[in-house]
Amino acid sequence: MRMPDLLPGAGTGPGSTGTTDSAAVGAGLDALDTPTEQRRPRWRRALAVGLPPLLALAVFLIAWQVLWAAAIWPEYKLPAPGAVWHEFTELVVSGRIDDVIWISVHRAVIGFLASVAIATPLGLLVAKVSLVRAAIGPLLAGMQSLPSVAWVPAAVLWFGLTDTTIYFVVLLGAVPSIANGLVAGIDQVPPILPRVGQVMGAGRLDSARLILLPAALPGYLAGCKQGWAFSWRSLMAAEIIATSPQLGIGLGAYLKEGSDFNSMPGVIAAIFLILLVGVGIELLAFRPIERRVLRARGLTPAR
Amino acid sequence: MTATLDRPIIATRSRSAVELRGVSKTFGRGGGAVTALAEVDLRVEPGEFVVLLGASGCGKTTLLNLVAGLDDPSRGVVNLDSGRPSVMFQEPALLPWLTAGRNVELPLRLSGVGRSARRARAAELLDLVRLSGQARKRPHELSGGMRQRVALARALAATQPSTTGTGEDGGLLLMDEPFAALDAITRDFLQGELQRIWRTTGTAVLFVTHDVREAVRLGQRVVLLSSRPGTVVREWRLDGAVDRQELTEEITGRLREVISTHAHA
Repeated sequence: MRMPDLLPGAGTGPGSTGTTDSAAVGAGLDALDTPTEQRRPRWRRALAVGLPPLLALAVFLIAWQVLWAAAIWPEYKLPAPGAVWHEFTELVVSGRIDDVIWISVHRAVIGFLASVAIATPLGLLVAKVSLVRAAIGPLLAGMQSLPSVAWVPAAVLWFGLTDTTIYFVVLLGAVPSIANGLVAGIDQVPPILPRVGQVMGAGRLDSARLILLPAALPGYLAGCKQGWAFSWRSLMAAEIIATSPQLGIGLGAYLKEGSDFNSMPGVIAAIFLILLVGVGIELLAFRPIERRVLRARGLTPAR
Repeated sequence: MTATLDRPIIATRSRSAVELRGVSKTFGRGGGAVTALAEVDLRVEPGEFVVLLGASGCGKTTLLNLVAGLDDPSRGVVNLDSGRPSVMFQEPALLPWLTAGRNVELPLRLSGVGRSARRARAAELLDLVRLSGQARKRPHELSGGMRQRVALARALAATQPSTTGTGEDGGLLLMDEPFAALDAITRDFLQGELQRIWRTTGTAVLFVTHDVREAVRLGQRVVLLSSRPGTVVREWRLDGAVDRQELTEEITGRLREVISTHAHA
């Protein structure tokens, strides 16, 4: 289909056969080439996602019950699932569970938000200023492999058995992950995207706001998710080691209490609760945001 | 007009879309220096469709970067009378988190056009590239050819920043092998579409390709560049009377000559 060579302005109108033809071809190509997205019905997806973990849990509980019934280990080492459940219901009925969870969760949330507030500008600096990157980039990456429990003794000496100690440990756990996530997110932005802004005459600020930051969002979110996990585990470590009456009893202190009283059901109940709250917040808060962000970009979330 | 005092002849001529005079570009210094472009003279008239043809290493991308203002020439002058040119790349380079409509709006947003005017202009341009009703789709929901048309609409939005601008100044569109990554049928269709849109909008186009057929089909003028360093070897004007088949063969012959000089280099 060769177009006649005409000067600009003398072009073919929409009525001529040349253009109607190519309009039809274009419509056909669009119809054939448009990617199709097949989605299973919602209940099927829910079943596919929800059923396997439930099955795994059931298998685990049965194995536990069988092991307990076999009485290989003494009761104080391996309590029955029922005993743990009893401990758990007692915690709920007495209403103590609210205090325990509230103390830990509010610390974790405040610590996490503070970490985000510190790590975001830090990550931007490391990603965009090469001197800063050369100076503290490796340190920041290395900090991720240093367990934040290692800071607890020092923090206790510096700040005593106070909330400051706990927040200090949480920050040192979460800030590096979030900052590294942001750096990785910015590094992985395809170089063509900032160029698009550049050729359109976008200034530094517009370019960061409209192109760079949204492009880095998936990496940043992954960093935040990991940051949450790190702040939660740092918090638990701090609460287990630094216990004192004025700190109140959070989940970590509750676990320590179980251990001090030689109550294995209490210890196991505490471990389950810690796991439950940590995973629950990830599922309720981070998973939906991540899903939305990735789906909008045509990147299928890793379930 | 700038820097025309030493060349009064040019000043009397009408405005060009872009004009390069004696442009050279060298990267690096000393022994490791690489000259990408040497003494390039090139003038694109307003509304003209010029194709730059060359093999790898002819400095096409360097030249486009100079015209786009992403880089400065080592020597020579680049005169841009048509405002900031807009650029279309080989990849659509759409922002994956924005819908097709928002992608087209982006250059307008950057130049501070209000929301409703932006929206109207984007709808108009999507109409022009035959993507009416696709404004709310995201890039991943579109085919490769459709994405490249969204990119074309976005580039057009950038060429004419104000709808109230002077009618005769259609701006300048730089295209860096924009169809090279597409399949043959889609490429053929988009070449036709580009011609139609070029005629409708009256924008000047500087189109880079290494495909002789594409060059002969699209251009009013085909400029052949040599490689390492890039210089203008010859140019052909394609008016109605030329036999395109013959010209394609002639240009291919010259291109092969240019390439074979590098066999022992």
